[in-house]
Amino acid sequence: MAVTTPVDRTRNTSRAAGGSASKGSVSMLRRVPLPVISITAIAILLFIWYLVTNLGVVGPRQLPAPQALFSQFLTLAENGYQGTALLVQIQASLGRTLIGFFIGATAGIVVGLAGGYSRIIGAVITPIMAFIRPIPPIAFIPMVVLYLGLGETGKIVLIVVTAFNYSVVNAQAGAAGTPIAYRRAAATLGLSKFQEFMRIIVPSALPAIFTGLRVALALSWAVVVAAELVGAQKGLGYMINNAALLFDIPTVFIGIILIGIIGMTLNGLIGVAEKKLVHWGGR
Amino acid sequence: MSNSTPKIEFENVQKVYPPVKKSGEPVEAIGDLSLALEESEIFSIVGPTGCGKSTALNMIAGFEYPSAGALTLDGMPIANPGPDRAVVFQHQSLFPWLTALDNVTLGVKCRGMPKSEYMAKARELLNAVGLSGFEKSYPYQLSGGMQQRVQIARALISSPSVLLMDEPFGALDYQTRLLMQQLLLELWIEFRPTIFFITHDVTEAVFISDRVGVMTQRPGRLKTVADVPIAKPRTIDTLTDSQFTEIEHRVLTSVQEEIGTIGLGASNSDRRTT
Repeated sequence: MAVTTPVDRTRNTSRAAGGSASKGSVSMLRRVPLPVISITAIAILLFIWYLVTNLGVVGPRQLPAPQALFSQFLTLAENGYQGTALLVQIQASLGRTLIGFFIGATAGIVVGLAGGYSRIIGAVITPIMAFIRPIPPIAFIPMVVLYLGLGETGKIVLIVVTAFNYSVVNAQAGAAGTPIAYRRAAATLGLSKFQEFMRIIVPSALPAIFTGLRVALALSWAVVVAAELVGAQKGLGYMINNAALLFDIPTVFIGIILIGIIGMTLNGLIGVAEKKLVHWGGR
Repeated sequence: MSNSTPKIEFENVQKVYPPVKKSGEPVEAIGDLSLALEESEIFSIVGPTGCGKSTALNMIAGFEYPSAGALTLDGMPIANPGPDRAVVFQHQSLFPWLTALDNVTLGVKCRGMPKSEYMAKARELLNAVGLSGFEKSYPYQLSGGMQQRVQIARALISSPSVLLMDEPFGALDYQTRLLMQQLLLELWIEFRPTIFFITHDVTEAVFISDRVGVMTQRPGRLKTVADVPIAKPRTIDTLTDSQFTEIEHRVLTSVQEEIGTIGLGASNSDRRTT
């Protein structure tokens, strides 16, 4: 070990913590699995939160302590919020989102694929969608309330519109972007136009469709919370809005955390479906 | 020969592409191409990049149409792509969402061949191209050479009378390419399609073909046609056969002259000195 060539040296540092101190610490950090680093970062953040709330750096009015949130969560899980069980609140929001998302995304995918395959349909929908898409879906809330009232229909229609808008674009781009080699191969294989659409265009557009679905679902979830701020009787959006009016800060925080966790889970579920259906990935 | 219609015939075919920009000039890819292919003939085209080789193939496939002149298949003008003219593409054109077996059977399945029939044919063909046991593999799980074998099996399953191959082995390493060329000749002996083969590898062209056409630089015309009267199947011994190397040299010289006229020879030697 007295004389080492540069090659030997790199090999040694990657195997065991040797060499100079600074180089050693960098290579040590490189060997830690990335998930461990991620979890450590979260743990540090939680610890800081624990410290600043328990040492009185910020008051409970501004930021409740983690243990206060946890006990409030147990109370909510046991007694519900304003007479409605927490699970029912979640179900209300999730139900609206999923119903609206399925209707909107299905319609969006069908229209988008047709627009990507047929140049004429594409010419019809492209300028219309280009106009509608930049409008934030929450801008439609007053109009929906005006036409459809404060009931379930209005909220679901809002989600349908949101999911539709964001799944159309990607489905259309995916269908239009089918490689020319695939379409030529389909033509020489003797596929009919309908067979080409179902067996070549649709699977070829699938990766793009999933990209659209992720955005559509995330926005549907965001919009349902926004819609529940206006005149809902249950749902997570209603819960955080109502709790804020009553200065029930821990409940507001719990509502926000739940919204985050559920949103993350929905995105994860889409990821699982994508892995299964688009097994070839970008290859 | 004179009393039968050629399998494929180009008669003074010209292909002009509209200008890319409004202010630009139209691009004349093929100037004046006349060529007749006999039934079951293997004909290769070599020539400089951009000489219109692929355009000629695309027109036989029915992907593109002549701007002037006539292009016929069995005496009839070519109107559309169809399963009677199977195409093996250079780049991956297998469907990545389908297994090797499903890629091979998709066309015949969609055209209504009974399942028992196409399954038997597909297994036989996958066996013939040396891919038994890979039926359930997806294209991305196969090597480049294996993917091209699947493409060939997919092309042959509809018993096409014409096989169009656009630099099918261009992306493969030398050893694999040699194997694929020999495999192609074996398959030709079994199925006897008319093969129109595009390549820029002169050795490959001479090795597999009955005739090799050299195209001029754009606008492409047929410059020379070399006969390769060497019996098939051919083996690696053929590559050192004096008759083979003589033809190869003649074709190579003809191609070099074409490349020389666009000044690439000069820039190549420039590059070598730096």
